[in-house]
Amino acid sequence: MVRFKHRYLLCEVVSDDPRCRLSLEDRVLGGLIRDTIARVHGTFGAASCSIGFAVRYLNAYTGVVLLRCRKEFYHLVCSALPFITYLENKGHRYPCFLNTLHVGGTIRTCQKFLIHYNRRQLLILLQSCTDEGERQAIQKSVTRSCLLEERSDEEFSESGEEEAAEAME
Amino acid sequence: MPTPATTYERIVYKNPSEYHYMKVCLEFQDRGVGLNAAQFKQLLISALKDLFGEDAALPLDVLTYEEKTLSAILRICSSGLVKLWSSLTLLGSYKGKKCAFRVIQVSPFLLALSGNSRELVLD
Repeated sequence: MVRFKHRYLLCEVVSDDPRCRLSLEDRVLGGLIRDTIARVHGTFGAASCSIGFAVRYLNAYTGVVLLRCRKEFYHLVCSALPFITYLENKGHRYPCFLNTLHVGGTIRTCQKFLIHYNRRQLLILLQSCTDEGERQAIQKSVTRSCLLEERSDEEFSESGEEEAAEAME
Repeated sequence: MPTPATTYERIVYKNPSEYHYMKVCLEFQDRGVGLNAAQFKQLLISALKDLFGEDAALPLDVLTYEEKTLSAILRICSSGLVKLWSSLTLLGSYKGKKCAFRVIQVSPFLLALSGNSRELVLD
């Protein structure tokens, strides 16, 4: 069949500074990635990657980003991601790095992976949390996500993760 | 009498040479512009870096360079030939002065650059 094939890169923004994730914006991040590709791969890389490039999904609470690029040039984007060392927003510069979690051919496969990944992260958070109030909030999120799994919900089950992230701060 | 069976072996090399050699000549629009060998190599590296970024760290060698005619013989590994040739094609200027690279000969063998059948004169 004749269609444009894409690769979807699921990445996580990891930073020491808690304000870094809250200042995430799709346009700022898209511009930053385009500049990095131009620096690492030159004019050729910038031109070939920018045709099908888009930031498809962004979650400021968990720092998860879904990038889309053409299948023929996704290796250029993938290899340029480790060169991102800071995030600049409104004059403030936050050091961070992008961790690639999953590369998928469609948004649906990345969504399935993200749901599975978030459930595992909730369990890890449950093991490592210290405060009793946090523990109860996370346990509530875990039971809710199990109920959602039984109902085989198709939406991103991010609300539990967001509440846990808020309770941690 | 039956002929004895002979073992026949044929070895074919797809591309025996890992390097490609290019004979190039730099032409400026104005006369009287000179470059020494280091500046010439710097120009080549900057042309590669312009088009391909940090990814253009190819092991490029300038084997010979003549300052009078601004011609040189370059050596590049075969996988980087396309990148080098395309960046030479798209190089437009050096320090604000317009220039162009003319590629005279390309060969995987250095010996082939010593003679050019196009310049052969038959008596």
